[in-house]
Amino acid sequence: MDNIANLMHGFEVALTAHHILLMIAGVLLGVLVGVLPGLGAPNGVSLLLPLTFSMDPVSAIILLASLYWGALFGGSTTSILFNIPGEPSSVATTFDGHPMAKQGKATEALSFAFLSAGFGALCGVVLITLLSGWVANFALRFSSPEYFAVYFMTFASFIGLGGASPFKTVVSMGIGFSLATIGMDSVSGNVRLTFEYDVLLAGVSFLIAVIGLFGIGELLLTMEEGLKFEGVAAKVRIGDVLRTATKLPRYWLALARSSLIGIWMGITPGGPTAASFMSYAMAKRSSRDPDKFGKGEPEGVIAPETADHAAGSSAMLPMLALGIPGSATAAVMMGGLMIWGLNPGPTLFTDRPDFVWGLIASMYLGNIVAVVIVLATVPLFASILRIPFAIIGPVIVVICFIGAFTAANREFDIWLALIFGLVGYLFKKLDYPIAPLVLAMVIGDKAEDAFRQSMIFSQGSLSIFWSNALVGTLMAIGLVLLFMPLIGAGLRRLRGQGETRTV
Amino acid sequence: MITRFWAEIGTAILTLAFGLVIVKGSLEFGIGWDSSGPQPGAFPFYAGGLVALASLGTLALTFGKRLAGKAMLADAFLDAARGRRVLSFLLPLVAFVVLSVTLGMYVATILYLVFAMRFQGGYGWIASLATAILTAAFFYFALEKFFQIGLLKGPLEPLLGL
Amino acid sequence: MKTIAISAALAGALTLGGFGAAQAWEPTKPVEFVVTSGAGGGTDNFARLVQAIITKHKLMEQPIVVVNKGGGSGAEGYVYGKGKKGDPNEVIFGTNNAYLLPYVAKLGYKYTDLTPVAAMALDEFLLWVKGDAPYADAKAYIDAVKAKPMGFKMGGSQSKDTDQTLTSMIQDATGAKWIYVPFQGGSAAAVQLAGGHIDSNVNNPNENVGQWKAGQVKPLCVFAPEQLAKSEPIHDGKGWGDVPTCKSAGIPIESFRMPRTVWLPADVPADAVTYYANVLEKVSQTPEWKEFIQRTAQTAKFMKGQEFTDFVAKDDAANRKVFEAEGWVVK
Repeated sequence: MDNIANLMHGFEVALTAHHILLMIAGVLLGVLVGVLPGLGAPNGVSLLLPLTFSMDPVSAIILLASLYWGALFGGSTTSILFNIPGEPSSVATTFDGHPMAKQGKATEALSFAFLSAGFGALCGVVLITLLSGWVANFALRFSSPEYFAVYFMTFASFIGLGGASPFKTVVSMGIGFSLATIGMDSVSGNVRLTFEYDVLLAGVSFLIAVIGLFGIGELLLTMEEGLKFEGVAAKVRIGDVLRTATKLPRYWLALARSSLIGIWMGITPGGPTAASFMSYAMAKRSSRDPDKFGKGEPEGVIAPETADHAAGSSAMLPMLALGIPGSATAAVMMGGLMIWGLNPGPTLFTDRPDFVWGLIASMYLGNIVAVVIVLATVPLFASILRIPFAIIGPVIVVICFIGAFTAANREFDIWLALIFGLVGYLFKKLDYPIAPLVLAMVIGDKAEDAFRQSMIFSQGSLSIFWSNALVGTLMAIGLVLLFMPLIGAGLRRLRGQGETRTV
Repeated sequence: MITRFWAEIGTAILTLAFGLVIVKGSLEFGIGWDSSGPQPGAFPFYAGGLVALASLGTLALTFGKRLAGKAMLADAFLDAARGRRVLSFLLPLVAFVVLSVTLGMYVATILYLVFAMRFQGGYGWIASLATAILTAAFFYFALEKFFQIGLLKGPLEPLLGL
Repeated sequence: MKTIAISAALAGALTLGGFGAAQAWEPTKPVEFVVTSGAGGGTDNFARLVQAIITKHKLMEQPIVVVNKGGGSGAEGYVYGKGKKGDPNEVIFGTNNAYLLPYVAKLGYKYTDLTPVAAMALDEFLLWVKGDAPYADAKAYIDAVKAKPMGFKMGGSQSKDTDQTLTSMIQDATGAKWIYVPFQGGSAAAVQLAGGHIDSNVNNPNENVGQWKAGQVKPLCVFAPEQLAKSEPIHDGKGWGDVPTCKSAGIPIESFRMPRTVWLPADVPADAVTYYANVLEKVSQTPEWKEFIQRTAQTAKFMKGQEFTDFVAKDDAANRKVFEAEGWVVK
């Protein structure tokens, strides 16, 4: 196959000592920006961008892409250890990762997260290698109605998961939707719901909400329980990392399913964050024992991590082949491509094969380098939990607020993080589910935009969502996902206690 | 002591108020459906409306349970000992935020960490000061010097020539 | 305002081509470049390139820190600039949205909260259709649209922004009528056109060049007074220089272009305005800048002082006419 030959050529380009060093530097920097909540991969990449103007494009993109991988890994670390998602896409990792850490299984959780993330990323790259041309054409068929259908699918898979009060779930999701609508509405050009406060012009940042709701809310709860992470006594041994690695193949089904979801969301516009939520939801739904989720189930770490990274790496394809950024980070890198004199688009693959295939080869290498590096840091990170809470608690507070400020250099965000922290504490104590709020905030405004653009397309007719095979199929899958809990319950009743797994 | 009942009621009233504010704010942009689909205010209107309605639902449910005499509602949401622990963490945290916007984030970090470690954690002065200053220095070099991101600064930094 | 502009123009004239030896003002602390777009946006690329060139050629003593304040279509950055009144260490990068945004949205700043420094380039607008569309020229396409009002879709980035303004101008000038679909940005509008979901867009050259190369879209005409500078062939032997002007192709619009602008907060010393205008002028003469302009097919045009304020006044009036006619102006 042509692509394989191209890839081999790409390895020749990427496999130089200079490039390997750049990868290591990029991954290390990425872990650093990923660990600091708020800073994140998009910021990290845009801060390094000016440095790359004097480099050749291949070296530059290798450095930036490696930073991206590193940041994705770093984001998972804080999710697991402190319940603070360093990156939006690691929110779903907190659901089971942090409970595992609290039970003294931080090493296991981190190792599972990194290994499955590496696996997902490699799946994404393999897809790019083999199917780049086909995927690019497929993605061209997506317009606003299809986008909306993808978001709808994500929501539908997540609804009805938790056992919380339906009223409280609606409150939580509604708050998320409302917050997402604050600020400039690109469809109408109006500034909505700012109540003439300039600080609300840019909207309420999802990062700030997550830092408050998860990070600070969790700290307040921990404090109330009395000053300790329950995992303090756990010993950290490098052998545990290896032992966890041998357990990973047991979760082959979760790995395969999550990779598929991740790849799907990476090449359609869902993106890594939606991918990780959806993958978590599907893992829980198809589990024989869904009640274990949320209480430290390894599959609850593996599923979102695999999907997150599979989406993160496959999102590079629409960026290169179409010029659609699949994530915030990809948007920054695309800006870089233009400044380096490359035009993302269908011809980039033929115009600059050395660049494209060098990048793809570096994605294989960079992810392997990243997994090795982050696995080596597991004992270091896991032992942070052994620091007494009286020290680490306040330090986390400082990290949270500095993170809240660096997200967009806004003083107001510090106050906002404080408010979200109080809300997070209150909601957790009263069993309001927080995940629907976060999910609604992440894809709520995108879903709204896509819906309204579709309505402009069709001049107000809902039939556009069934107007072609693609969008019709997507909507149908969404509807099935939405009603599956009901159908599943009905089937169970019919068949008694029989196996009713449908996924 | 706050019982669970009052905590539920209080929170539901807060979310109800939030929902109503959103509803009020979105009325300005039209909430109907015209030839090009929903008007700009429609989505926030319905989202806010749902929040308000579901909050009313929670209120009704909570009162209903109270009338039915469910014991769980009388449980403590926060008793005195727990309340004290939360406040002992929350108040310094709020102070940290206030100091951050007045004296700058580096000074606030040092003061807050020293306070938490020395007076709450019971560590010695040297350990507390060292941890606090090292943390602030780490952020200073990582952010200001390496990534060239400025944090909020107060009146003190210029005096030190930073 | 006016006196500043005049003195800036005077000072600019005095130091034009000089080495800046007699500059009265220089920054004494790190300078912040405020970018009124998100990371990766057009304004972001513009500002970061200027930063890189200044650093490479050592045109400023003090280090530069870039911050993105792209919320509210860039209004966040301008509101931030308003809050920095009198601070000459804050340089704000934008487009014509600096003076146009306050018309269409209720925002916490006015144009007079900014001091004009310079414009560094003009980004062009072209009329694009799908690569295999049966229209040989702009006139044929416009005639088809006129024959079927609201039967064609024009895509663009956002509402009440440059793309929709231009669409509205074309409608006024020709009597055609489109369904305007606002997307999240020019690149989305480009891909939607390539995928055949919309019938045309009015993207900047840089936003559509990837698709043009692949033959998925083709330009019909450019909204500039004269044809663009010659370039290497992009598709089918045609380059930027071969695109006819829209005026010659039957759309009576003389010119529609978006300036890449630089501002300071209000009430800054006139010397500071001069200082930055000179630094930026030197940037505009570097080979890196020229290469960037050529690659993105923008038109190089450095304006400062009176020339720039005149340009702003003219552009402002032209756009306001459309806003008023469309009823976009907020009280």
